[in-house]
Amino acid sequence: MKRILFILFLLVGFTASSQCVLNESHVISPAGPYSPGQTVTVWYTLGTFTGININWIHAFQINLGVGWTNLTPTGAPSNVGGSVGNWLWDLQHTYPSGFNFGPGWRFVNTGNAGWGTSATGPFIISFQITVAQTCTADDLSISIEIFDDCTTGGWSNGGCCVDPAYNIYNGTVQLPLIITSNINHF
Amino acid sequence: MKKFITILFVCFGLASYGQTTINPDTVCANAVGEQYFVTNTPTSTYNWTITGGSGVLQTGQGTNSITVDWGGVSGLYPNAVEVIESNASGCPGAPILLDVFVLNLTGNAIGPFCAGDPTTALVGNPAGGTWSGTGVVANAFQPSTVGVGNYVLTYSMGGCNTTINVTVNNGPVTGPIQHF
Repeated sequence: MKRILFILFLLVGFTASSQCVLNESHVISPAGPYSPGQTVTVWYTLGTFTGININWIHAFQINLGVGWTNLTPTGAPSNVGGSVGNWLWDLQHTYPSGFNFGPGWRFVNTGNAGWGTSATGPFIISFQITVAQTCTADDLSISIEIFDDCTTGGWSNGGCCVDPAYNIYNGTVQLPLIITSNINHF
Repeated sequence: MKKFITILFVCFGLASYGQTTINPDTVCANAVGEQYFVTNTPTSTYNWTITGGSGVLQTGQGTNSITVDWGGVSGLYPNAVEVIESNASGCPGAPILLDVFVLNLTGNAIGPFCAGDPTTALVGNPAGGTWSGTGVVANAFQPSTVGVGNYVLTYSMGGCNTTINVTVNNGPVTGPIQHF
């Protein structure tokens, strides 16, 4: 009985950790906190994408808090050794499965539509964002999500559905304090 | 000499900058051109609101200094002066408030008197002020010490004044006793 439980535990553990994205890192400049009007550049690197059950990588989605504006792509991912096609910057795209994506880069496979790319990395993307003018401490979170066949519905053999979003920044807009003196009367 | 002038300048500047109005502020009834201000931040704008006391903002809206004309009804008006500073981005700060007490002084009429009449106490409202003028001693009028005529007596409190007019007439002149 103990042996069965041990085997079950190993299986559950393997499933939970079977993510396809490995060796993620980032650089963000300048470092936070951020004030209205400030422009920030982000570089994100995905060291390796290992498509379990032949799940190929499809897209890099940029998740931004409401305090950001003027998202501008500055560097698309490479496709070294990958499928025929190209990475396309898109603000919004709905896959045939109904899954909504964007903004970010998605791979358009010109040989086999909906397959993504067989490239395994490394992938580097970069973009600029600006803190919107605001009077409230709006959310400035930044994260990256990697989508593959499993998520977009391009391949029925799931295996990379548990890749968590990669967090780059958590914080809110830093607002200058407005300190008014007491009212004086001549 | 230069050092002396510098010291004077610094002292005056500090005194002006650091002036603090005690809350509630007191103004005289029907006062005009009363100036209110906060420390200026050049990139900020200031939105002032006058509430109660029949106050009317006359000049300076948008700046750190305004003038206000007040009405004549005595009383305490909570939050009568309010200012909200907004920074260069248009973001507002917390409202700053000042209560205002409108002080309407009145003096009870007295007289007319005859020369030689006894001393009469002077009554002002609200109580607690000070009377001044010809024939006034210790907040009382002494007809016997002034000549015949009209006099203006002033009642003062908290920087406000009101006046009353008092008349002293000739007393009756009684001739010698006659014997028919």
